Amino acid sequence: MCLAPLVPLALLSGAAVFGRRASENAVAATIRTSIIAGSIAAGVALVERIANPSATSLLSYGQWFSYGEDAFRLDFVADAPALGFALLSTGICGVVAAFSLSYLHRERGFHRYFVQFCLFTLGITLVALAGSIEVLFAGWELLGLSSVLLVGFFHERPATVANALRVFTVYRASDAAMLSAAVLLHHWAGSGSLSLLFSGAPTAALGPGRSLAIVLLLMIAVAGKSALLPFSGWLPRAMEGPTSSSAVYYGALSIHAGCFLLLRAEPLLVGVWLARLLAALAGAMTALYAALTMRVQSDVKSRLSYAALTQVGIIVIEISLGWTTLAFLHIVAHASLRLLQFLGAPNVLHDLHELEDRAGGRAGRRVTRKLPAWLYLFALERGFVDALLDRMVVRPFFVVAGWLDRLDRRLVGAPDEGGRR
Amino acid sequence: MSLPLLWLAALAAPSLIVVALGRAGLEVERLRTTAAGCAAACMLACASVFVSPKLGALHVAWPFAGAHPALGASLFRVSELSKFLLPLPSTLWLVSVAVTPRSRLDAAGLERTAAATLSTTLAFLTESPTLLVALWTTSNLLFVGGLSRTEHHRARRVARAYLWTSASLLAAGVLLESFTTRTPLRDAGVWLIVVAVLIRKGIFPFHAWIPEVFDSGRMGPIIRFSAPQLGSYVAVVLVVPHASAGVLRALAILSLVTAVYGAALALVQRDARRACGYLFVSQSALVLAGLDCTSPQALAGSLVLWLSSALAFTGLTRTVLALEVRRGRLDLTRYHGGYEELSQLAVSFLVLGLACTGFPGTLGFIGQEMLVEGAVREFPALGFFVIAAAALTGLAVLRMYFSLFCGARSTSFGLRRMLLRRERVAFGALTALLVVGGLLPGTIVASRLEAGHAMLHEREQRAGGVQE
Repeated sequence: MCLAPLVPLALLSGAAVFGRRASENAVAATIRTSIIAGSIAAGVALVERIANPSATSLLSYGQWFSYGEDAFRLDFVADAPALGFALLSTGICGVVAAFSLSYLHRERGFHRYFVQFCLFTLGITLVALAGSIEVLFAGWELLGLSSVLLVGFFHERPATVANALRVFTVYRASDAAMLSAAVLLHHWAGSGSLSLLFSGAPTAALGPGRSLAIVLLLMIAVAGKSALLPFSGWLPRAMEGPTSSSAVYYGALSIHAGCFLLLRAEPLLVGVWLARLLAALAGAMTALYAALTMRVQSDVKSRLSYAALTQVGIIVIEISLGWTTLAFLHIVAHASLRLLQFLGAPNVLHDLHELEDRAGGRAGRRVTRKLPAWLYLFALERGFVDALLDRMVVRPFFVVAGWLDRLDRRLVGAPDEGGRR
Repeated sequence: MSLPLLWLAALAAPSLIVVALGRAGLEVERLRTTAAGCAAACMLACASVFVSPKLGALHVAWPFAGAHPALGASLFRVSELSKFLLPLPSTLWLVSVAVTPRSRLDAAGLERTAAATLSTTLAFLTESPTLLVALWTTSNLLFVGGLSRTEHHRARRVARAYLWTSASLLAAGVLLESFTTRTPLRDAGVWLIVVAVLIRKGIFPFHAWIPEVFDSGRMGPIIRFSAPQLGSYVAVVLVVPHASAGVLRALAILSLVTAVYGAALALVQRDARRACGYLFVSQSALVLAGLDCTSPQALAGSLVLWLSSALAFTGLTRTVLALEVRRGRLDLTRYHGGYEELSQLAVSFLVLGLACTGFPGTLGFIGQEMLVEGAVREFPALGFFVIAAAALTGLAVLRMYFSLFCGARSTSFGLRRMLLRRERVAFGALTALLVVGGLLPGTIVASRLEAGHAMLHEREQRAGGVQE
């Protein structure tokens, strides 16, 4: 399953590094073959798992490399949720790949798109099947980078690029939290095995304090990746990418990656009520915020993305309540629905415009109904989440760094450029 | 002539040939071609330590018996540490020769690069304090010599002040350590060497000269001077075995703080050169942080990171230089565009930058993973500084990438925008090397772990000797 996206990725990126390009047909054939192979592998593995539920779910492919007593283990979990999510991912990637091959036909960035798409497919497969926290982290990082590069796909537009950088900033915070959780788990539990984490054993072994620290870091990682509050500001910015990538990232898979991680780590929440409470609060606030903000969006992609975020908030609440089966089914159903909505949006808009042209006026009802002015402003400004993060984090960072930069220049007698960066 | 002497001659010959041909007035493009061949020959000679067991355990004693401690136990020695470092200077030499733009190429520069490569290679081969001081000073001379033009006067002034201070401190430290028997004086000697290393590596609070030299000096010489990280080698040979646990801890903490500081300041720079300078400060500090830890994992991680960051940083800064030649000084406050014309350069820049940040699939990821594990074991709170530094470096690299390659397309499509074949091959090979190293890291990690254990063993032996 992991090899399926790896092969086209290696071929396409190897060619890019040495300045070569394959034809669109060759790219299409490679992508189709690999996605079909991946989907078949995931499907067969899931059927075998259902037929044989007592078989071991930990697949160990040995060590990638070892250093002293530690090793980077290539462990994968092949239990029903992991295989189910992997099958969902490869299926959705297959649909999106088929759509994109036509959608981006003769687009200048055709090859670039598919390199990044393969990177994404590899990342999401690793996240789905990770059996060790190192594999999970690698998948997590690949997911983040490919996402950001696709947000900035139309890189001729400065606003697109600026938004991609903003998204990456949140993702880096999320990645740092994930790596910190991984390191703490290794340090305190002496193992980076996700089977251990998913079994809930660390809660008993580490005690509630340390478990809480790990869960909180995981929550930050999840919040960053799934756009939970206070990180929701990046979601509309991420809509700058091609519709097909928005569909797979912010409608279907990437936005659910955080939920899936939380779902797998749910046993860790069992003895830590504070973590449960915080997760439920984050989910509830995000759902309310997204439902409200969605109502005033004027473009279809932003509206759909906030609608997706509402459901993500509800999924997080379900997980915090321990309703994991419901949460998993919710993820599968919601991802499939949003995928179709995102991919169908351009056609719907096209039909709507045609209808309006023929009718000679606006079709359908207005986007907003009567809202109190302050609530309308709150929704329109997307809860001032970005402004708040700017004021609390970005601006102080730039002020301090700018001051240190000027100090460094003065130390060596260099002219001071000063000003904001 | 014995095999070791023949091998040493083979190491020195390529550099000497380039210097001699340069002096003889060979035309500069022909000198470049010759230098590329010589660099490749030097690389092969260095790599032969992996093939020949005799060369892999090379030990050349001083010609006179009972050498003074200041001269060290041997003249040249191939250790586990030096084995992987040896091909590094010649690899960087080859890359530098291949990608240096025609407009920035001169015979004197090629000669200096050849001589600097020889001096760094010899430094990686010796553990003799006196020889290290001599080679350190030689590399300073060669570097400052490259800043002789009027427009580089500020860089020259700053580099001179910092580098001569560091050389003097190193010499004084070696003298105190080797010629005195009293513990306080020896400790003072170690501290002097530590400060010399801090200055050379640009560790806080002695970091300010590095971005300034990147900014107002010549990029080629500063890359050549900084990337192999001779300061790290001197720290491993002269500081780590002698320093107390307290000194090492202080050094590690200072390095970790610098790693975050450098990455944070790289993120806010307006100019690509200064951003590169701060990125170097951060990378260099990360390497030193691991070297000062006492866990073999952190040590090995740091050694892997050393290799990775030297290659990645050289590639990254060389891509910036290649762009600068085509577009002039690179301002990071606007988008320069041109991805489609220079897509291979953009891909190389991104992969090399990501290798600096420790992105999965690159050699940097392996080093950083090991370093984080080791650093957390030793300093649970400060280990997270490595994570913070990696996050900020990633942001700085992506910001540079977006600024340098994205944005509205320029209307001038000239041949100058296209990459030359030698540039394509060099950047492609460097990128591939880091990715292959990241996907198949077994040999490198095993060797670096062995080197880490050897360093710790030596340290324990010395500590035991002092107690007795």
